[in-house]
Amino acid sequence: MSELLENTEAAKKAVVDWLTKKSKSKTKFYIKDFYKIFPDDKPRAIKKVVNKMVETGELEFWSSGSTTMYGLKGAGIQHSSEGEE
Amino acid sequence: MAKHETPLLDQLETGPWPSFVSDLKQQAEVRAKNEKGVEFQIPQDCVDDLLGVLELSFKHGRTHWKHGGIVGVFGYGGGVIGRYCDQPQAFPGVEHFHTMRVNQPAGKFYKTDYLKSLTELWDFRGSGVTNMHGATGDIILLGTTTPQLEEVFWTLTHDMNQDLGGSGSNLRTPADCLGQSRCEYACYDTNALVYFLTNEYQDELHRPAFPYKFKFKLDGCPNCCVASIARSDMSFIGTWKDDIRIDQDAVNKYVENDPAYPANAGAHKGKDWGPFDIEKEVTGLCPTKCMKFENKKLFIDNANCTRCMHCINVMPRALKVGKETGCSILVGAKAPILDGAQMGSLLVPFVEVNPDNDYEAITEVIENVWDWWMEEGKNRERLGELIMRQGFQKLLEVTGIDPMPQHVAYPRTNPYIFWKEDEVTGGWERDVEEYRKHHQR
Amino acid sequence: MAFISTGYNPDKPMENRITDIGPKDHNEFYPPVIAKNKGKWSHHEILEPGVLVHVADSGDEVYTVRCGGARLMSTTHVNEICEIADKHCDGYVRFTTRNNIEFMVDSKDKVEPLKNDLASRKFEGGSFKFPIGGTGAGVTNIVHTQGWIHCHTPATDASGTVKATMDELFSDFQQMRLPAQLRVSMACCLNMCGAVHCSDIAILGYHRKPPMLDHEYLDKVCEIPLAVSACPTAAIKPAKQTLANGTEVKSVAVKNERCMYCGNCYTMCPSMPLADAEGDGIVLMAGGKVSNRISDPKFSKVVVAFLPNEMPRWPSMTDAINKMVNAYSNGANKYERLGDWAERIGWEKFFEVCELPFTHHLIDDFRQQAYMSWRQSTQFKF
Repeated sequence: MSELLENTEAAKKAVVDWLTKKSKSKTKFYIKDFYKIFPDDKPRAIKKVVNKMVETGELEFWSSGSTTMYGLKGAGIQHSSEGEE
Repeated sequence: MAKHETPLLDQLETGPWPSFVSDLKQQAEVRAKNEKGVEFQIPQDCVDDLLGVLELSFKHGRTHWKHGGIVGVFGYGGGVIGRYCDQPQAFPGVEHFHTMRVNQPAGKFYKTDYLKSLTELWDFRGSGVTNMHGATGDIILLGTTTPQLEEVFWTLTHDMNQDLGGSGSNLRTPADCLGQSRCEYACYDTNALVYFLTNEYQDELHRPAFPYKFKFKLDGCPNCCVASIARSDMSFIGTWKDDIRIDQDAVNKYVENDPAYPANAGAHKGKDWGPFDIEKEVTGLCPTKCMKFENKKLFIDNANCTRCMHCINVMPRALKVGKETGCSILVGAKAPILDGAQMGSLLVPFVEVNPDNDYEAITEVIENVWDWWMEEGKNRERLGELIMRQGFQKLLEVTGIDPMPQHVAYPRTNPYIFWKEDEVTGGWERDVEEYRKHHQR
Repeated sequence: MAFISTGYNPDKPMENRITDIGPKDHNEFYPPVIAKNKGKWSHHEILEPGVLVHVADSGDEVYTVRCGGARLMSTTHVNEICEIADKHCDGYVRFTTRNNIEFMVDSKDKVEPLKNDLASRKFEGGSFKFPIGGTGAGVTNIVHTQGWIHCHTPATDASGTVKATMDELFSDFQQMRLPAQLRVSMACCLNMCGAVHCSDIAILGYHRKPPMLDHEYLDKVCEIPLAVSACPTAAIKPAKQTLANGTEVKSVAVKNERCMYCGNCYTMCPSMPLADAEGDGIVLMAGGKVSNRISDPKFSKVVVAFLPNEMPRWPSMTDAINKMVNAYSNGANKYERLGDWAERIGWEKFFEVCELPFTHHLIDDFRQQAYMSWRQSTQFKF
């Protein structure tokens, strides 16, 4: 595991920074997009970290039914479009 | 009195097959009367509105539902699918009408006390409409609102010791045939293995880790009653290595047309096909022609048998699968989208199914395949498509499985073999000056 | 309708949370005769359509009565199943992969009362609640998808087409007169949640029109990059569009000739609906199977390129299905699956005996594998 991924706080910050930077154009991401943030790490280690961030409330899932994506909590258009929250 | 007129749906109440329309109407009425005094947590008339919106679809020839969404239970990336009606003013009862997938028990056996606690929960917190079961195998609870999702999940986990199934880019709820619980053909205990795999990979089932969906299906024998070979990224199909067990006396009972020994276990009783003819119906239909019946004795050349099950299916009282049983693992099956349908391809011809070592021979294959797919798979690329893109040889390399003729239906018909440099003596670096000493320019 | 909480606290979702506990242990749900004889079954017999006996090495017997179910079931109906199981089966019941319901009893004398009870139960509209059948060389229940009852991309209804088809094929659900089992499956769009591509007869909903574009709202309700990346054939690209009033808006453009009508864009973007009354309808496929018995598993082939949605009973569809079932029933040998029969007589004869027209749509033109399906031989029938 890389130093970046091992340091939970730094890893979380890297994810949030990256998502924030992208948030102007889109808010939902595939798991593979996170591989770019941690180029030296294995997919399994990366998914553990980002899934943990869902549990701690920084990120949330969006599912089409067939595909699941990740986004910053509360970000995105569809989130509010159905009068839910 | 029905809330919405449904003249088109009403026409689906006649005819002998169970009418889902009649059932939904009965449900709408039960909710309207509410004789049990349920404190409905979602609109009482949601089933009326469901009928109404369906009638509108029958009228328009178009669906009135929209997309998925954020909805889910906390920390899970699957198990809930968001669903919204595109006519919420006309049908407010189904404006938000999300699906929950509940992980079905192996073999789909139930006790009624469990089913009743589930229906009680779903009447209270949902529409009371279900699928028993969805195509992947789950119990589908059809239609509730967002605030109820966590509440349903809480009751399922706290009071019923029951978890949700998979959806999205996750391991999907593994499914099996009933296996050895009630079938003499089953070559391994599908119920035990599906239960083990489901529990072993709970994280993969609930938290997305994959490029796309991934399905396990488990068939106890090559008859493939759960269609694993056609619809699972990884299928586990029971098989055996030794000889088909023959009871010669019973074979002769079939030949003598003993009524207690009907061909194909009685599956053809509805038509007079004439007396049973072992040559025509068994040995003559054997795909490898590895059997013969002579002097009242059935002989099987087991070394040439491909275990298609036909003879066993026709004479279940006389023939039994072998004793050295296990399973074959096939990979990559999927429905047509995008590059066309794929059937599972044989990866492991035989593996032991051993609960005593936590099925380590099987989990090793699974995890090697996942590591490769997680690393190399593109967004929304199924395993079968990755195998097509990078090649079956690559699959063998990442799983450490030796190539063998069983892996192919026939060897390649083109010689365009991409040799690796280390396979060719001396490698590819050569001295052109040395070459020119013997070959003029 | 006051909200009643279980104790879940939305502010502290992890408090007392239970996760990752998996399904119920099936061992709790086995009827005693199953638990006792698991792995030690000797043989079975279909006594009559819908009624099976399994005999264990111990001599124990379990009798199973199989009934059709609509898959879409209300809790009221499930409670009725429970009532029957409590009355006859000590509270045990199971479902099959093909949405049949199986009631099991441990002695023969319990079979007749169970059968009579099941057969006597009807819905108010007149249909059977628990028709007995679905075994052996007949038609068993249709596996299917959601359709208009709950899905956002269907091109037809699932429960409706299935009800219409099973009403037509009902006598073969309750008989075993066919050459082999005949598996009918239904999926309501090409995403094929139910994977119908290996069935003897498959009903497939199909769109034929690319999505409509709601330019005025698209950028407001959708994220354009998500709509673009949702497309499996890369047919969607971002594009500025000019509305009728002259305003320029951000939106997308669709390369229509690349669209395969899967609806994935609509999933990400409700401003790209593709359902259409004239465009949508039914494709029929035939000749697939999943069993390894005698011949290899095989894919179904498209035999009817398109039939319109004819609500509520899809008569053109059931007519074509009836023609196939009748021709198969009259022409195939004992044990021969529909696809094996079609291959034996030749697909040119299949269209003749099934009285189905052959059109250019049925000749594969999708990428390389199409070539494998063309005839590379002078062996054909006139």
